[in-house]
Amino acid sequence: MSDRRQNLPQLYRFCFLMLGDLRKAQEVFNATLREAGLRAAQGELPREPSWLFREARWRCLEASEMDLQPESLEIEEHDIGPDAVSQIRQLEPAQLAIWISAAPDPQRTALALFYLDEFDYLEILDIAELKLSTLSRCLSQGRRQLQAWLDAKHSGAHNP
Amino acid sequence: MRTFRLLRRRRALLNCAPIGQDHLVDRSMRAAISREDGSEEFVHQQNFDRAVADVVCLVPIPPESAEWFSEKDAIRVPKWTWKRILFNPAVLAISIAVVVIAGVFVFNLVNRLNDFPGSATARKLLTVAGSTRSVMLDPVNAEAGTLSDLFFMKHGLEHYDVPDEFADFSTIGCRVFDDEESRRIAQIWVGEKQMQFFLFPAERDSKTGAVLTFPGWRYVHQEGWVGAVTERDGVCFMAALRGREKDLEPYFSGSKQQQ
Repeated sequence: MSDRRQNLPQLYRFCFLMLGDLRKAQEVFNATLREAGLRAAQGELPREPSWLFREARWRCLEASEMDLQPESLEIEEHDIGPDAVSQIRQLEPAQLAIWISAAPDPQRTALALFYLDEFDYLEILDIAELKLSTLSRCLSQGRRQLQAWLDAKHSGAHNP
Repeated sequence: MRTFRLLRRRRALLNCAPIGQDHLVDRSMRAAISREDGSEEFVHQQNFDRAVADVVCLVPIPPESAEWFSEKDAIRVPKWTWKRILFNPAVLAISIAVVVIAGVFVFNLVNRLNDFPGSATARKLLTVAGSTRSVMLDPVNAEAGTLSDLFFMKHGLEHYDVPDEFADFSTIGCRVFDDEESRRIAQIWVGEKQMQFFLFPAERDSKTGAVLTFPGWRYVHQEGWVGAVTERDGVCFMAALRGREKDLEPYFSGSKQQQ
């Protein structure tokens, strides 16, 4: 069970990235672990190590279904520039989480799982139930859209 | 077309390239990265991903949630014990299946061990015995031993003789019919315990045509009926009745061969 326990902080971070809200992330995180505890007591806890993330993902999607849904807009995309790193370093974790949680699924799941740096791409494909081409598109578009948002954020900051 | 597909896959893999070296386990991913390593676009992508992952690492864990980390074995998987393994539905289902298969195997094996040339025909005739009504037979009131002349004279059946053990029994009726393999079967109904006798050609070797003989008496069972079969001069005789082997045993002399 040690592997699963080591992953728990990452599980919480995953919930936070998926929901962009501290309270909701905590709720989903607690509910997932309660479910795991219940199953473990009944001897029905699946042995696959990524089960907790899969379960948490569905709970996050369910929780966000009740929220206001973002309008589907054509989001601007920019090439990744050399100064992206410095732009990102100025980001607050909560800002990043809010940006990721606003993405439509499966892009949201793909970005959240990928940037946890916990799984290889095959595990992400398995947890998110995606094809390689879809995961690739989600990540590639996600980077370019995040870059466009960072550019807009910084140009806005420089030109108030 | 194939090259285009390969390039597209390589591009897809590069978009999913891992942030750290820990997740570089897939060979195709390693190959894709090694081809692209050093390109400006890929370096920007990797730096971008690393920076985002660093921000994710900074996501603070609220103390309420952190409590879960310290709860020792909060979601511990119960240890596997022999009892748990045995009562696992999958193991239970497999065990039952194995027992059933083994049972069927043993049953077939025992049946095979009891088999003798003509046993299959004898079993079919026991089914016939179970469904025969006395009205279906021609009434004959005689000693069973005398019917061999009738079978020979009327039907041309040679050596269709009732063995001495049953020759004195008084008959109610008899008939001769063809089975589904066009073999001539003689059936005799006697008054003693509603017993029926069958005479049928013994099995022959398919290559040489020689009669497959067996010594003494052999039992067969089918649908609550029991039959005692013996072979003589290329013809099998079966005495059949509804019941068990012990009901037939008193009729045999010491020549019977129990199997």
